[in-house]
Amino acid sequence: MYDIGRHSFIVTRVAADDVRAYYNACLHRSTKLRASGTDGSTQEFKCPFHGWSWNLDGSLNEIVCDWDFQHVDRDKFSLPEARVELLGGFVFINMDKDAPTLADYLGPEFMAHMKAWRLEDRYIQSHVMKTLPANWKLSMEAFMEAYHVINTHPQVAVSNADANSQYDTYGEHVNRFISTLGVLSPHLKGQYSEQDVLDQFTIGDSSVLGDSERKLGEGETARQRMADMMREMFEASTNTDLSGVSDSELLDCFSYTLFPNTFLFAGISLPMVYRFLPHPEDHRKTLFELLFLRPVPVDGNRPDPAEPTRLAEDQSFTEAQEIDPGFGEIMDQDTENLLLQQQGCEATAKPGITLGSYQEIRVRHFERAVSRYVDGG
Amino acid sequence: MTSKTPGKKPAEPLGEFTRFCPLADVPAGTRKALKMGDSWVLVINANDRLFAVAGLCSHQAKPLLNGRVRNCRITCPVHGARFDLATGEALDLPATKPIATYDLRVVDGWIEVCL
Repeated sequence: MYDIGRHSFIVTRVAADDVRAYYNACLHRSTKLRASGTDGSTQEFKCPFHGWSWNLDGSLNEIVCDWDFQHVDRDKFSLPEARVELLGGFVFINMDKDAPTLADYLGPEFMAHMKAWRLEDRYIQSHVMKTLPANWKLSMEAFMEAYHVINTHPQVAVSNADANSQYDTYGEHVNRFISTLGVLSPHLKGQYSEQDVLDQFTIGDSSVLGDSERKLGEGETARQRMADMMREMFEASTNTDLSGVSDSELLDCFSYTLFPNTFLFAGISLPMVYRFLPHPEDHRKTLFELLFLRPVPVDGNRPDPAEPTRLAEDQSFTEAQEIDPGFGEIMDQDTENLLLQQQGCEATAKPGITLGSYQEIRVRHFERAVSRYVDGG
Repeated sequence: MTSKTPGKKPAEPLGEFTRFCPLADVPAGTRKALKMGDSWVLVINANDRLFAVAGLCSHQAKPLLNGRVRNCRITCPVHGARFDLATGEALDLPATKPIATYDLRVVDGWIEVCL
């Protein structure tokens, strides 16, 4: 089941490359055919109330006591569908029958990027869900720039060239930054050694590095050592082949936003997906999902996707066992900001926000897309 | 609403173990349902472990046999309710009650279940 606000869809595979998204409501008296938040497999979609059922392809299967429903034209009682397209192992749905194709919507440049990242060859290693204490737009925008790193996450600034991050926009619906890791923040120039940079390097899952030697030799850089260590130890611990992956793809934070609700972190050290959905009952909250995607092992055995861990709104991200404690701390710091920002937006005397020309270009790009869809402007 | 009530445990003192089927009949990744006395029992070999649970869903008594098993949970194929195979706990609507779980052991190559 996939819910957006009060909308709900049954997303199901009908054949190898045929995935459908049905509006999740019985055509008899509108009972949800499946409860939200569930998944599974089945041969039919059967309403729990009176037992009307539909086949996987959406066609009507059975009306209990059909003699009483002679006014129902079976051919017109297939489950209504949203549009579905598949890309990079993800299912995209669209309720707008007149929308452009996904390839046109995302644009040729990003489509080429997606092809190169081969995200379809990854699986969901962990999945954490949490309600964030801020509006959906604020929550999305909190993760679109590295400008906040030096103040919000000082513990990682030593090994993150925050203000040197590269920002790109692709068409109307995709933007990206590349934030280099394993190099010193320009804010801290001259204050730390290469050894300090190596010592404070934080990645999504530090356990893959084990107890490796982290003492730099003469002339060695932290970044190169991290790349070499990551490549060797990650391949061994996850049984994957990284020979075709560059040091940057291995180490750096590649963060794409696909309007309206998806972040793809396509690199290897932070191999994540964020999904932000408006809270169905409170516009001051957001449903946030964090997924770690790991490459499928070279033996080809794709592990089952992880079961979601649901954190309560007041729980720390560090309480999710799947999340590296250092990364959980970063997410907690972002969450603390969001609460204050939500409150501040309601307390401010100044209308609107003031954005930087470059480092906040993704926020501008996102806001422009929101305006176009919401205001028509 | 999610039920927090754990599944039914065998009453003390423990009842008798009864032969269910040869272990070889339930290789890894498979399951088998049989009627034992008045109860349908479902034995599942998943995640390197054997589970014995009630064969019918607590929601509308539909067979769980063909439900998807993943991460030590089974999903009812008819209406989608999910249950924890170890505790029987109902994890999702439309089920609000647990399913029974049974003690299980392997003796001389046979799976034995204690109802």
